[in-house]
Amino acid sequence: MNEQELKQISQAHNEPAALWDIRQKAFQLIAKTKLPTMQRFSYQDWPLTTENDLSWLPPKPSNIQPTQFTLLGQMVINHTFPEEWQAKGVRVMDMFQAWHDDPTTMTKYFAKVIKPSESKLTAFHYAYMNSGLIIKVPRNMELKAPLELNLIQDNRIDGGLNSHVLVIAGQNSSCSILQHWSSLGKQVNTLNSMVEVIAEPGSHVNFSALDEIGVSSTVTFNRRALIKRDAEVNWAVGMMNDCNTVGDIDAELVGDGSQAHSNMIGVTGHQQHVGINNRVTNRGKHTLGLINQRGVINDQSELIFNGIGQIIHGAHGSQADQQNRVLVMSEQARGDANPILLIDENDVEAGHAASVGPVDPHQMYYLMSRGIPRKLAEQMVIRGFLGPVLDNIPSANVRQHMINILERKLKNE
Amino acid sequence: MAKLEVRDLHVSVKDEESKSTKEILKGVNLTMQTGEIHAIMGPNGTGKSTLSETIMGKSGYHVTQGDILLDGQSILDMPVDERARRGLFLAMQYPAEVPGVTNAEFLRVAINARRDQDHQISVMDFLQKLDRNLSLLDMKESMTERYLNEGFSGGEKKRNEILQLLMIEPKIAILDEIDSGLDIDALKVVSKGVNSMRGKDFGALIITHYQRLLNYIVPDTVHVMMDGRIVKNGGPELAKKLEAEGYTGLRDELGLDIPLVDDDQ
Repeated sequence: MNEQELKQISQAHNEPAALWDIRQKAFQLIAKTKLPTMQRFSYQDWPLTTENDLSWLPPKPSNIQPTQFTLLGQMVINHTFPEEWQAKGVRVMDMFQAWHDDPTTMTKYFAKVIKPSESKLTAFHYAYMNSGLIIKVPRNMELKAPLELNLIQDNRIDGGLNSHVLVIAGQNSSCSILQHWSSLGKQVNTLNSMVEVIAEPGSHVNFSALDEIGVSSTVTFNRRALIKRDAEVNWAVGMMNDCNTVGDIDAELVGDGSQAHSNMIGVTGHQQHVGINNRVTNRGKHTLGLINQRGVINDQSELIFNGIGQIIHGAHGSQADQQNRVLVMSEQARGDANPILLIDENDVEAGHAASVGPVDPHQMYYLMSRGIPRKLAEQMVIRGFLGPVLDNIPSANVRQHMINILERKLKNE
Repeated sequence: MAKLEVRDLHVSVKDEESKSTKEILKGVNLTMQTGEIHAIMGPNGTGKSTLSETIMGKSGYHVTQGDILLDGQSILDMPVDERARRGLFLAMQYPAEVPGVTNAEFLRVAINARRDQDHQISVMDFLQKLDRNLSLLDMKESMTERYLNEGFSGGEKKRNEILQLLMIEPKIAILDEIDSGLDIDALKVVSKGVNSMRGKDFGALIITHYQRLLNYIVPDTVHVMMDGRIVKNGGPELAKKLEAEGYTGLRDELGLDIPLVDDDQ
């Protein structure tokens, strides 16, 4: 597809000039940028940027039980929220609807946290973005119930998905968001999933994600929060995909006194390859960034966790701490947990812990000596291993769902 | 009724650092059955814990000769969990900590591992049994909601081992230095727990350095172990004699040429 064709499709889709401007620049950047390199993980030959097409495909009928906000492929198929939210100015809407209704807000916030110029993947994403939504929580608004996003990649059809979620948490607002990714069908497609969170001063965002995309996709995800003064963002991501996945979770602590807790669980199986960067950057003074990752690697799969804690010069009195732990469940599995600390300031506290290894034989012996069969004992030890991160996931339903997927993967089903 | 027989047992362990193999047990013979309490006493480094870990089936203990039979059947080829389900229990000297698994959940899973799908213990029965045993052992109910052994003091871990014994109700229990690190009050409580199990369906093998524990749990038979063998058998009076004369006295009386670990210190 050339630039002219892309422009025609954008125009036929009634996209405002400001969005076309972003697409056009991103399109031109694709050829000039490279795939980001990831420590100890190679994915350069994955087909992440090959399906260069922009089209609007109607969804096929399905028997999905939609939750609050459900996007099947590119289409919103359900959109039900408490009326009270609407009345108080909470906006949850389709990305293109938002560009149509409120281009001023979109121009102000869109593509500001993750820039098109960062890499070939980001350029590709913005050029071909074909699905998404925005969430806007007005200042001082406290959403008591979690906001559930149900995003489904429709692999019954041929075509990649470039999905963009933009969250704008107004000053002193608070909200809990759950992004659930799944897929239908078996066609070979890519998924390029991006989440931008803008946490205005004093806001509090809990963002949980549960990824369970099927084996026929190739996934790249990029979830990043820009965290302003005294704001707090907590990531809790469960990477349970069955397919090859490369992803970044990012917290940019730009405001003084801001905080991020970046929790990640990854479970891999079969011949899957997964590489994750979990990054927290302390820029503001007295900022706090904690990374906590746990991985379980089964069968012949590969899982690489890089924890990247960076304290920028000037971030006085900041703290960065990280734990990266990986359990290797089979002799053919490959895993790594790499703490990377980049400290450019003196009066800070930084720490890290990492481990890669099999299930603790002492724990296994103890449980089995009470008559508990090996498989069940393994599950108990793994549950305990994941516990410190699982406990940080706000929704009990999500926790249980993750445990169920985990147990399925352990049984090699 | 259950019967445990250890026949001419030789066990070697490999030293991971020096890569050399060392024979620890050099022909142990021991027979016990339900309804009986046996004690094994012996100086440090004499193979008492090796015997208990080998009976339970811990990896790294290589049986080079002899056999271990439970009810006439060799258990050497059975995995640890199967030995446990057949009625063996080992109260460990150093219980593992398992974060994320509550004590109560662990106990319920362990009990149900012995039952088939249609006869799992009901929540009501489980809680009643748990309450009864907690009060017997003077343990707080909050202990059951804590993660298994995580952050437990030495004394709490020992009590928790006995709680498991009472909940699981094995046929034959080996108590490996259950008295170490316990103050006198805790020792009494632990002994009370073990004594409550005494009866025709329960047997215990108590491993200890000191006679003191045997004042509270009076054994039927006392075995003295030195240098990988049982060198003397007797009744409870043997333990008292040892307390008075020490292991060196017995060694010299038997005319054994065995260096005791503490000799060269």
